[in-house]
Amino acid sequence: MSKHARHLRGLTIATLVFFLAGLALTFFYAPDDVNQGFAQKIFYIHVPLAIVSLCGYVLGGVFGVIHLRTRERIWDLRSYTAIHMSLIFSVGGLLSGAIWAKVAWGHWWVWSEPTLVSYLIVVLLFCTYQPLRFSIEDPERQSMYASVFSVVAGAFVPLNFLIVRLSEAFVHPRVLNLEGGTLPGSMALAFYVMVIAVALLFATLMKFEMLAKETRGQTRRLRRKLLGDDAVAPVGRSAAPL
Amino acid sequence: MPLIAAGQPTDFVSLHTAVKYVAGAYIVVFAIILIYLGIMAWRLANNQRELAELHKLVEERDAEVPEREQEPAL
Repeated sequence: MSKHARHLRGLTIATLVFFLAGLALTFFYAPDDVNQGFAQKIFYIHVPLAIVSLCGYVLGGVFGVIHLRTRERIWDLRSYTAIHMSLIFSVGGLLSGAIWAKVAWGHWWVWSEPTLVSYLIVVLLFCTYQPLRFSIEDPERQSMYASVFSVVAGAFVPLNFLIVRLSEAFVHPRVLNLEGGTLPGSMALAFYVMVIAVALLFATLMKFEMLAKETRGQTRRLRRKLLGDDAVAPVGRSAAPL
Repeated sequence: MPLIAAGQPTDFVSLHTAVKYVAGAYIVVFAIILIYLGIMAWRLANNQRELAELHKLVEERDAEVPEREQEPAL
């Protein structure tokens, strides 16, 4: 059994259980917010998505460091998958945030809000990761350059987060802070369960994607072995590690 | 003063409007995840089809080998 397939079933079940529990707590246990009313329920999905995606970018950078140290391709694949999944989660975070902003502020997007704009900058920075990979044909150079990018961009994420926090403390509603957050008990429980659920979803999908890529590679190798090189279509230029 | 606190709902936006936006946000997020899973499932189906093809080929080759072994040597 592939090491990517290990624990995948357990992880999937845990993700489903936490998601169902999180949604139940969000809608049936946590009270409505005193200022925002029912619309605040968006926070229980929007904030975990944003947090997990930012952690995913940092994780991609950590995997990039390990790849640069060990030169093992598996770490490049992990770095690529973490950033890939983070981008998908970021799209969800941005769209759910825009919907919340429409309810709360009457606008889909507010350019003067530092947290929103800084998050968008991080997402746009990581959007260049795949074109960067695609622009380099040699797989060895591609993985090395991509790892360097992931490390630099990954280091930018906490820096960017800190700068915004230090400069504008009260513009964006703060769900978490260094004193333990502003959420009362019942809301905090629902929120943290949703954070765990989204983190588990991230881990499950990441494992799923790595397993799919590994299986695809094995099928190609098997085809080449059985039918010869001519039977396998050339891979062509790809952003994904092969 | 906490910016978010539990309490009685106010008329910040009407419940009817809020429900539409909350449903919209959750639907968008789950749609993104479902689209991703759909793409992955499509790739998986392609891979399974290719594997089945290779499996069939291996079986055909295995069946051919005993036939050749049975042929009398010239």
